[in-house]
Amino acid sequence: MKRTGRQLLKVEGLGLRFGGLQVLDDLSLTVGEGRIVGLIGPNGAGKTSCFNCLTGVYRPQQGRVFFDGREVSRLPTHRRARLGMARTWQNLGVIESLTVTENVMLAQHQRTGYSALAGLLGLAGTWGRERELRRDADEIIDYFGLADVADERVGELPYGVRKTCDMAMALASDPKLLLLDEPASGLSPEEALGLADTLRELRDRLRLTILMIEHHVPLVAEVCDHVYVLDFGRLLTEGGPEEIQRHPEVITAYLGGSHGTA
Amino acid sequence: MATATLVLTRVRIRGRIGLVLRVALVLAALALVAYPLLYGGDVWAQRISRAAIYAIIGLSINTLTGHAGQISLGHQAFVGIGAFFAAFTASRLGAPLGFGLAAAALAGTVTALLVGMVALRVTGLYLALVTLAFGLTAETTIFNWREFTGGGAGAFAPRPALVETDFAYAVLCLGVLALVLYADWRLVSTKAGRALAAVRNDEDIAATLGVNVTGYKLGAFCLSGLIAGLAGGLFAYWNQVVQALDFEFQVALVWVLMTVVGGLRSRLGVVIASSFFALLPLTLPNFLSGLPWQPPFLNEAVYHVLPPFIVVVMLLVVLRFFPGGLGQLLAPVTGPATRGSKGARR
Repeated sequence: MKRTGRQLLKVEGLGLRFGGLQVLDDLSLTVGEGRIVGLIGPNGAGKTSCFNCLTGVYRPQQGRVFFDGREVSRLPTHRRARLGMARTWQNLGVIESLTVTENVMLAQHQRTGYSALAGLLGLAGTWGRERELRRDADEIIDYFGLADVADERVGELPYGVRKTCDMAMALASDPKLLLLDEPASGLSPEEALGLADTLRELRDRLRLTILMIEHHVPLVAEVCDHVYVLDFGRLLTEGGPEEIQRHPEVITAYLGGSHGTA
Repeated sequence: MATATLVLTRVRIRGRIGLVLRVALVLAALALVAYPLLYGGDVWAQRISRAAIYAIIGLSINTLTGHAGQISLGHQAFVGIGAFFAAFTASRLGAPLGFGLAAAALAGTVTALLVGMVALRVTGLYLALVTLAFGLTAETTIFNWREFTGGGAGAFAPRPALVETDFAYAVLCLGVLALVLYADWRLVSTKAGRALAAVRNDEDIAATLGVNVTGYKLGAFCLSGLIAGLAGGLFAYWNQVVQALDFEFQVALVWVLMTVVGGLRSRLGVVIASSFFALLPLTLPNFLSGLPWQPPFLNEAVYHVLPPFIVVVMLLVVLRFFPGGLGQLLAPVTGPATRGSKGARR
């Protein structure tokens, strides 16, 4: 499934410091269009911080981020989102006081096609557009099997359902690049492998590019075309999933010396 | 197949019940207002205007605190500046009422925008303190600027002939209230409502979903200020004279608390609670002096400090038993109405 496309995401020499703590140090990586790339590393290696720098939640002191052929290092988060960057969150990016449908419609924010003021005044076009958005949201909700809970407040739903809702939201924004922060956490091993099929299907059907943080090694091995390994904020190594699993430094750093063949 | 049809009918019935319920609610509310308005004479017409103005103020605070999650303890500044602007245009410039109300709304918007720009940098308790300080400063500076506000005598805002009677003015106030209610309804039903819910819950998540957090916060301040300024303008023509002491901090405190008692994000709850506190100072002295036994500590002088006391007691009761405010208490009635409409749209 390898494609020789252009680079959708390129990061050069990212450096992030919190006070005296060097969270990311000269981190560079690239993600080619249409690929599924893994970002792994032990806890505290800076993986989520890296996501926060990519999306603009954190402002790194050094380095540049290129997305879809333009530099986005100075763009605020919402502008990067509008260029086609979507993400899920480790502790879930759902709004608990809204229903599942409302959350998915919230994720469609950038393609509502009318201004906030027009909506507020109830101008003619906004009513029909709202109906269309709701129909689109229902489609996404059906795809993820959330139809039964569509009108429930997300805060009242179990963790697994909220996690699915988070994923549905990331897709509802119609992104080019999907950043997934531990999509398999909280899933059973079988569910995690089922996720591999979902991710591949999403990539092929929606022509998505995926960068994912994941601890679940079988999933990474199964689905990723390329893997970056992070340790103490630095790039330890990179390569294909088989290569990475045999890499001695990775085994020491990431698997903690236990020579498990995952 | 059978279940699908069943679900469809249920949704349709729920939708229909919702529609019937909403129509019934609106008719009941209209009847409740129309009776005293038609048969209560000028006294009740004035009271209804005052209740409508308070309800508009409550909805203004609801926009900021309920929808955007930003607190303001300085709302008397927004309302007061609107009132003084309306009075200024009416008495000095001889401008028509429509112009006066527009000037009031604009003044409220600009003032709130300035406060909002500060609010981008502070949250929670600090925002409460900043707005509190702003309100108190406005009270002692702008409201005492003699050339603008007429000093102690106040600024006059004579009503034009069209709305000179108390009845006509009450209709005007109710009309503006209806517009504000409509805007609030459309706000929560469209993209801005969802975006503000996201901003209120988690700004990072909101931004990652493409929501311009700064823009929406400022927008919420502006909208809240616009509605507050409008309410101030209506107050000016209602009272026909505006004085600095109409906009003391104590009043702003009651406004914020009455909105919470009514229930943030509950239109009906906010309107009911606001109306109650609008009428309380008017009806309470009569009620108290009619009591067979007068507590020695109650006299004319303390009547005006009673509403803040009562609102605080109600707040404690509400927070203990219905954290969602009156709106939560009303949910069994309003819930099916709104949920029904959602079912119908699905």
